[in-house]
Amino acid sequence: MAGRSGAQRPNGAMQGKICQFKLVLLGESAVGKSSLVLRFVKGQFHEYQESTIGAAFLTQTVCLDDTTVKFEIWDTAGQERYHSLAPMYYRGAQAAIVVYDIVNQDTFSRAKTWVKELQRQASPNIVIALAGNKADLANKRLVEYEEAQAYAEENGLLFMETSAKTAMNVNDIFLAIAKKLPKNEHSASGVSGPGRRGVDLSENQQQSSGGCCK
Amino acid sequence: MLPAAIMMDQQTVSAIQGFLGSQAKCVTSIEAGLVRDWVKTSRILVLVQNNNEHGLLVFVSSKPNVTSTADLSVEKAFPINEHFKCEIDTSGIDVFAGADVYVKVTYQKQKLLFELPFSPRTNTFVAEVTRAAEASSLRVGPPPSFTWLQAYVPLNVPHTLWFDLSDDNVSHHSVGSTSLKSGLAFDDNFSELMTSDNWPSNTELKKSDSQESDLDNSENFGNIPRQSIAMGATPLAARESVVKLQMTMREEDYTDLQNFRVFIGTWNVNGQAPIISLEDWLAPKSDLLPPDLYVIGFQELDLSKEAFLFNDTPREEEWLHAVSNALHPEAEYKKVKLVRLIGMMLIIFVQVKHVDCIQNVAAETVGTGIMGKMGNKGGVAVRFDLHSTSVCFINCHLAAHVEEFERRNQDYSDICARLVFNQFKPPKFIKDHQQIYWLGDMNYRIMDLDTDQVKGLIDKQCYPTLLEHDQLTIQHGFKRVFVGCIEGPVRFPPTYKYDPGTNDWDSSEKNRPPAWCDRILWKGEHISQLCYRSHPSLMISDHKPVSSVFEVGIKVVDNIKYRKIYEEVMKKLDKLENEFLPQVTVDKMEVHFERVTFIEPVSRFLTIANTGQVPVQFEFIKKLNDTRYCKDWLNIKPYMSFIMPGEKCDVELEVYVDKRTAFKLNSKQDTLDDILVLHLEGGKDLFITVQGAYIPSCFGSSLDALVRMPFPIREVPTAKLIDLETHPKEIKAKEPPFEIPKELWLLIDHLFKYGLTKEDLFQQPGLHQEIQQVLEKLDTGKPEHMPGSVNSVAEALLLFLEALADSVVPTIFYQRCLDCSNNFILCKQVIFQLPQVHRNVFLYIMYFLKELLHHSAYNKLDPNLLATVFGSILLRAPPNDDLDINLPGVRRNQQLADRKKATFVYHFLMNDW
Repeated sequence: MAGRSGAQRPNGAMQGKICQFKLVLLGESAVGKSSLVLRFVKGQFHEYQESTIGAAFLTQTVCLDDTTVKFEIWDTAGQERYHSLAPMYYRGAQAAIVVYDIVNQDTFSRAKTWVKELQRQASPNIVIALAGNKADLANKRLVEYEEAQAYAEENGLLFMETSAKTAMNVNDIFLAIAKKLPKNEHSASGVSGPGRRGVDLSENQQQSSGGCCK
Repeated sequence: MLPAAIMMDQQTVSAIQGFLGSQAKCVTSIEAGLVRDWVKTSRILVLVQNNNEHGLLVFVSSKPNVTSTADLSVEKAFPINEHFKCEIDTSGIDVFAGADVYVKVTYQKQKLLFELPFSPRTNTFVAEVTRAAEASSLRVGPPPSFTWLQAYVPLNVPHTLWFDLSDDNVSHHSVGSTSLKSGLAFDDNFSELMTSDNWPSNTELKKSDSQESDLDNSENFGNIPRQSIAMGATPLAARESVVKLQMTMREEDYTDLQNFRVFIGTWNVNGQAPIISLEDWLAPKSDLLPPDLYVIGFQELDLSKEAFLFNDTPREEEWLHAVSNALHPEAEYKKVKLVRLIGMMLIIFVQVKHVDCIQNVAAETVGTGIMGKMGNKGGVAVRFDLHSTSVCFINCHLAAHVEEFERRNQDYSDICARLVFNQFKPPKFIKDHQQIYWLGDMNYRIMDLDTDQVKGLIDKQCYPTLLEHDQLTIQHGFKRVFVGCIEGPVRFPPTYKYDPGTNDWDSSEKNRPPAWCDRILWKGEHISQLCYRSHPSLMISDHKPVSSVFEVGIKVVDNIKYRKIYEEVMKKLDKLENEFLPQVTVDKMEVHFERVTFIEPVSRFLTIANTGQVPVQFEFIKKLNDTRYCKDWLNIKPYMSFIMPGEKCDVELEVYVDKRTAFKLNSKQDTLDDILVLHLEGGKDLFITVQGAYIPSCFGSSLDALVRMPFPIREVPTAKLIDLETHPKEIKAKEPPFEIPKELWLLIDHLFKYGLTKEDLFQQPGLHQEIQQVLEKLDTGKPEHMPGSVNSVAEALLLFLEALADSVVPTIFYQRCLDCSNNFILCKQVIFQLPQVHRNVFLYIMYFLKELLHHSAYNKLDPNLLATVFGSILLRAPPNDDLDINLPGVRRNQQLADRKKATFVYHFLMNDW
């Protein structure tokens, strides 16, 4: 016999509500944005990940205690020549992960300019996480943990050093974002950016446009 | 009954009726989405009737709009009998968000989940089906054969696959998944139909667990109709629907049955106050274990006029207090709900430790007394969810008097029909609960025996014999009342009517025969009655209290198991969603146009191949703040299209630099560079880079730059060109600028020499190739002689003037020119205020045109025509993108402006200056 812990009916809390959020990854090319996504979504890692030319799209769900958060992940191209296209993807995003490579100081500077751009141009409530990727190469690090952490604190960012290769902190950083995102119906939008997404390609248009929490 | 036409369009309905033929009638029908494992597909549900039998047919249509009988085929046929269930399920759905409702159709062990819009239409459909099911449950006699229904099942499928009326599969004990499998695992398209055997039963759980842990093994998704998804036919269903379905189908895997002890008591207290202890009734010494739940019903709580008129009585508080004091001493209780309608009161207590397990408590009352609605008779009810089981308790007081049993039946039906918990969407009726308990003074009497016979049988405790004459037992047997409910064996003496204060039968003059007025019945699964008794020691009323203790199985969700299964479902969904995202490969991500010249189109081709599993809708989309999906000099054909999996689409990219775009490219304000965003609907974006080298041309340059170029433009270094176009007057040159561009002189000189007498000059078009050669000659200086016909040179001249960075009369003078176009003096003044080069060019052209008119006998030119042609070229309106030429007002203004331009030029052709 189950004890009293089984008191709540989970049907209401967990089953019905799936909050959908648009999340964008930004950062210099080759810092590991696609690798982070691939690790998070498929649990895979490729040593030679192809360069992203465009904005890759994947979805992944995170189950929290009280809600289910579905991320629509836009993994953007890092090359500078595509910089002007980035607003298409961070506009309307509720969350962003700005990624740098801990063995490359330049990518950290670039990350800071991304953060600045987001603070200026993205939606004011956007949850920004800073990811110092390639933490498996800590012995070659050129960006100190403390430095990045202090910067993140100053700017109110979530911060973790991650490794797509070893999976360190990969799920954690998405989970931390999921927890920080506001779950009320007005703050999250079901429809995102240029994608106008929604897997239900059938006639269910009202559902996807009716806000996230259904 | 609603006519079917309201539910669907007439064509569909007549197609359905055509399909059914004369055998059966279509009662009502509705379109619904069948949610299978992971996909939602469209179905038509049809309630059919043949005489008094009903069936539910699930139709598949081959076309979105059914037009004929041939479009329909039956997928499933369910007889509506005791094994059939149809429920609206809204748990976990926020109906205010306009969501859909789920309708669950259960037949024996088969479950189908349909998604329907939350609408009156859906409610009506379900109500009709429920009514049919109720009608079936009221049937007396041998079960019907439903042979007529089998006639709709396609011949190639053995009838037993569709529904099985044999008793083997009916009983709950024959869960035997092997027999179900053999019965339901079809090999054709219908095999994916969600039936319970698609999910492992509890005994198979271990085995399936190990399979499911290997999520990368796509064999797990064996039920996905990949082929039809690839054809675009069955998209993945909305995530909520799939989750709903999966969790519904696997309910047994995460719920345990937990036993609860439920005490149910009923007493008609005849208006008395509780001057005695109720312990002998509510917690007799023989009840060792404390009940988890107390459900206590009273009737005739207060017989006073005040209670009847104002529904207000001190008795409520008194009896509540008495009950509270008499609950089982071994446990602590908390009141869940009290509801009262005049004399009928229902109180529910629960052990404190279970308080959190009770949710969605609601109470309702229905009066069936005087005039069919007063509250002296009727019912009061409380419903709630205990863990995951919905329960409803109804305390009723039905019509009195021996002969009124039909009135009592009617009261029962009225309570069932009118007692609605309206705060739920859709509203919940009594029947919508998994466990239903009826208690109260039902008032059924003993018939056909006189008082002495009855008392005699009671003395001998011949209760079974007596019960044969009990109206409730009889009416229940005839299915006139409490249909589907169960009453345990009655082994206690009748509870009515006694002389108050005694255990003696009523000694009044009426000398009524005793009767079992006070009863307890139930309906639902996992309910077992532990005892059913009366309590003669409580003597203040003319009735004796009755009680029953039940042990009931309540569905309790194991949160850990639930979460594990929920997460499993989510993981699978994510995997499927990502797997079914549109995917393409493009043969090149960079497109190079090596050399692009003025008005010479250059094309390159891209091949987009659909390498994914779903049809792809692609579109080149606009970047933020852009008005077009690519730069003006580029055209993409097609810029949006649709590709089926495994197929390809060739896309042509054409660069074409014309008079609109040449200047910016010449002056390097723009380059032949663009990034195209190729968007896959519902998926990712690809960036395609376009690059080319534009070869500068005198076409599209400015007059100021051209007069400062002593050489053909191709010989001018790029840096110098940029200087010339950006700040020509600051450039120091050894030689002064030309009066007019040499290119203009070359063109006009050629026409002067060879074209003065040419008929229809400027009206006959040139040849594109020759114009290209003229262009090449002007840009490179080669060949030495002007190539091409006079007509081609003439057209090249017009093109040269049109393409100039700023028109001969600069745009800043445009409005002034129009304003003074009716006055030659003013026109002349404007011209003499033009920058020198522009003035030179304007007058040079006027000289030339006047010269042409001198030869009008041969070239047939007239001043009106020339003024019109050149007016529109020499005077160019400032760029104004906002104006839509198709607006009537704009077009009228345009015509007026064109006339003024012509008039302006006309002055110079007809006058000396």
